Amino acid sequence: MTTTAPPNERSTTATTPKRARLVRYGMWQLRDFLVERGIPILIIGSLLGYLTVAPMLPSLHRNLATLPPRLIEKWGGLEGARAVLMHDFNEKFLNSFLGAMVYVGALLAMNGIVANDRKQGYYRFLFTKPLAPWRYYGQAFLIHTVGFVAIVALLGTVYGLAVWPILSLRLLSVLALMFVMYGGITFLLSAAARWDWLSLVAVTVAATFFWELYRDSQAVLAKLVYILPPVHRTSEVYNALAKSETLPWPLIEWYAGYGIACFIGGLIVLRYRRLAIV
Amino acid sequence: MIVFSGLGKSYRGWMGKEVRALTDFSLEIAAGEVFGLAGPNGAGKSTLISLLLGFLAPSEGETLIDRKDPREYVEHHGVGYLSELINIPPGWTVAGALQRYALLSGVPQSELSARVEGAIAQLGLDEHRSKRVRQLSKGNLQRLGLAQSLLCEARLVVLDEPTHGLDPVWTGRFRDMVDQLRRPDRAILIASHNLDELARLADRVGIIDRGRLVRVVDVRATERQVTEGAAYRLVLTRGQELVAAHLPAAQSLGRGEFEVKNVSLDDINTGIAALIAAGAQVSALTPVHSALEQQFRDAVDRGPGDR
Repeated sequence: MTTTAPPNERSTTATTPKRARLVRYGMWQLRDFLVERGIPILIIGSLLGYLTVAPMLPSLHRNLATLPPRLIEKWGGLEGARAVLMHDFNEKFLNSFLGAMVYVGALLAMNGIVANDRKQGYYRFLFTKPLAPWRYYGQAFLIHTVGFVAIVALLGTVYGLAVWPILSLRLLSVLALMFVMYGGITFLLSAAARWDWLSLVAVTVAATFFWELYRDSQAVLAKLVYILPPVHRTSEVYNALAKSETLPWPLIEWYAGYGIACFIGGLIVLRYRRLAIV
Repeated sequence: MIVFSGLGKSYRGWMGKEVRALTDFSLEIAAGEVFGLAGPNGAGKSTLISLLLGFLAPSEGETLIDRKDPREYVEHHGVGYLSELINIPPGWTVAGALQRYALLSGVPQSELSARVEGAIAQLGLDEHRSKRVRQLSKGNLQRLGLAQSLLCEARLVVLDEPTHGLDPVWTGRFRDMVDQLRRPDRAILIASHNLDELARLADRVGIIDRGRLVRVVDVRATERQVTEGAAYRLVLTRGQELVAAHLPAAQSLGRGEFEVKNVSLDDINTGIAALIAAGAQVSALTPVHSALEQQFRDAVDRGPGDR
């Protein structure tokens, strides 16, 4: 059996490497994000916001209409009293809304970011181009994060126009860091497993359960709980944001660091793992 | 350009049972060559292509493209690839998909529009350019898949069942395209069930069966060889009644057609000469199976133990 190539045709030619124009392709990734994920995030975020605000509005209007004159006087006039009431209102709203928005947003923004292309076979045409999967999906992660923050900014603007201004750089940057935690975990799960959204829910439930169980334990094995995402204290961050209090930065750094570590883990998986599903 | 050496791939099933997809596969494919890959369903062709593109890791052996690991080669140079199943997101438009793939192929901005328009024109996709992928027929989807594989101007082109779903007109055009794709520095690998297509396009054809490379056929040399025991179809427009006397081995298939089997080509020529001398008119003498098909049947029928 002749299995060697005809000798006169053997190649010794070296060629110039090519490179995908990935930055330019980012516009397509942004478009895909907005159409396939951004619109659902916007709709669900709006519904979540509306369903949180709507039941609270009648009591707000009632309180505003029936403010005792001594309180109006104490708070420096009607506008001052209104500002105090709205501060309380925003606090309740943000406390209920932020955690759910970041979690659901991350689930929608990142779910299937790698796994869908592997399951649907889209990787075949994408990654026979001069392109490394980790670069492609790394850029997609960044675009999805920016897209999520932009949607939160839009929702915040609408809320500000309809109810009371809440948007600030502080709010957006902390939400972005919290998003990075969930997004990073989902990214790693998506790079490593097929059912990433289900895995994220399972990881969150397991983390909450085991952190509650072992957080105060002195046993050596209980320290393993530190491998799990520290989701049990997210409310501390959202509370501080809602009340405009000093932020628990070490905790936020822990969250963001955990997310970034997972993101880097996902990139490493993509660098070394083969894409075909067998 | 491509070297497979001792390549093997096995999978673990749900029950932990090992399934061998490829065993001890060794082969070299040179630049400038069009290499065909033929084999029955499940023979291991798609596994071999996945290993070549680095989508799968081998269980044994190695694959090198220009002396590089497949993934390293693909990520630096790109490969023109048409998969057996065309997987393109259904919401993309035809023109949009080609623009995206052109960007990822590294086509410079100054050439992007011309390259995409060229591919659209070459594959006759102009009237479908605004359609979404989900709206395309099987044939048009295949043409889109083919178009994206040509954008890269790659030195390695891998086409898996390229004419699947194409009508006869586009099948013919595809053959012309492959001829145009031939370049001294480019290797083209075509996997196909269609042996006639491979016989026309390929310089060599590897026959793969049950995960093993069972034969490599030099197509041009084989076409010139006379295969012992080959069957021929003889067609007469006049003098059918004379056949029994001059070519007694010929069996009538009706309507002036005969099958001549197990007769040497010399005896067939002598018989035909006698037929013509007796007043018969011969309109065709063709092998029932092409030389490649004969080789394929022979290789696959023998089974792994007979090699």
